[in-house]
Amino acid sequence: MASVSSVEPTYLPSTVQGAVKILVTGPFGVGKTTLVGALSEIAPLRTEETMTTAGAAVDDLTGRPEKTTTTVALDFGRITLNQHLALYLFGTPGQQRFWPLWEDLSRGALGAIALVDSRRIEECFDVLGLLEEQGIPFVVAVNVFPDTPAYPDEELRAALDLLPGVPILTCDVRDPDAAHQLLIAFVDHLRAAAEELP
Amino acid sequence: MRRGPVRPYVITGGRSRASRNVLEFESLVRTVPGAAVDPTALNREQQAILALCRELLSIAEVAAHLGLPISVLKVLVGDLLDLGAVQVLPPVRQAEQVPLSLLEEVLVGLRQLR
Repeated sequence: MASVSSVEPTYLPSTVQGAVKILVTGPFGVGKTTLVGALSEIAPLRTEETMTTAGAAVDDLTGRPEKTTTTVALDFGRITLNQHLALYLFGTPGQQRFWPLWEDLSRGALGAIALVDSRRIEECFDVLGLLEEQGIPFVVAVNVFPDTPAYPDEELRAALDLLPGVPILTCDVRDPDAAHQLLIAFVDHLRAAAEELP
Repeated sequence: MRRGPVRPYVITGGRSRASRNVLEFESLVRTVPGAAVDPTALNREQQAILALCRELLSIAEVAAHLGLPISVLKVLVGDLLDLGAVQVLPPVRQAEQVPLSLLEEVLVGLRQLR
């Protein structure tokens, strides 16, 4: 049987007892796949998910031609954190039409990194609104493209209408070290936020 | 496996939901060695899952390697779980609130990588 993935599977150590996940989200072309690739210990993988726009709780698609099905590609990667714990990073499209998929993807996620292209701020409104609505803890990470103008944080914060507790980080997501520092800063923010809870 | 003329929902017998709700994208799957499973009770995709999962992989990884949607994988793995053919390790985060100790463990793990 020919495998679709040309890559041989890289198995987790047999001592691993479970996994956690983080979402990397943002509009099309913002650099989600690049960031996942910069962080992942395995060659990033892709699955295609079929989604019905009429909602996820559909038992039988046959004979319901009025339902629109969309295919969405999900790129993801993996980091083995220690001998017991693995982390998965899911590149998650932020467009409104993919929202039915969010229920499944976000369940159990530690949080989300929302990638922003400061040249196309308005494209990020959808996903930031969804993260706030669903109560998913997140940071904003501005992907630094060569011609990215350097906006002051406060200007960006106002433009994105961010709540005060949401950090704005910057990162060239092509650089593995910078991507790694971004991931650490993100988890550190989650930890600090969890510490403040009663 | 190639996307043949068979639609994914035929593979799963028309279901889009797994028989039990314990399977997530990051659930880890491993074939139970020597499980007494009648191979004729399994379809081609389920046999491929058992062959692939000789060591630990997530549902998402199995889906990517076999070229199947994750939703289909959940149904197929759910059946294999019912048959005792695979072991599934559920996601670590179960509670509504993420425990501080888990976030600290993730942070320590990340900092030790470089």
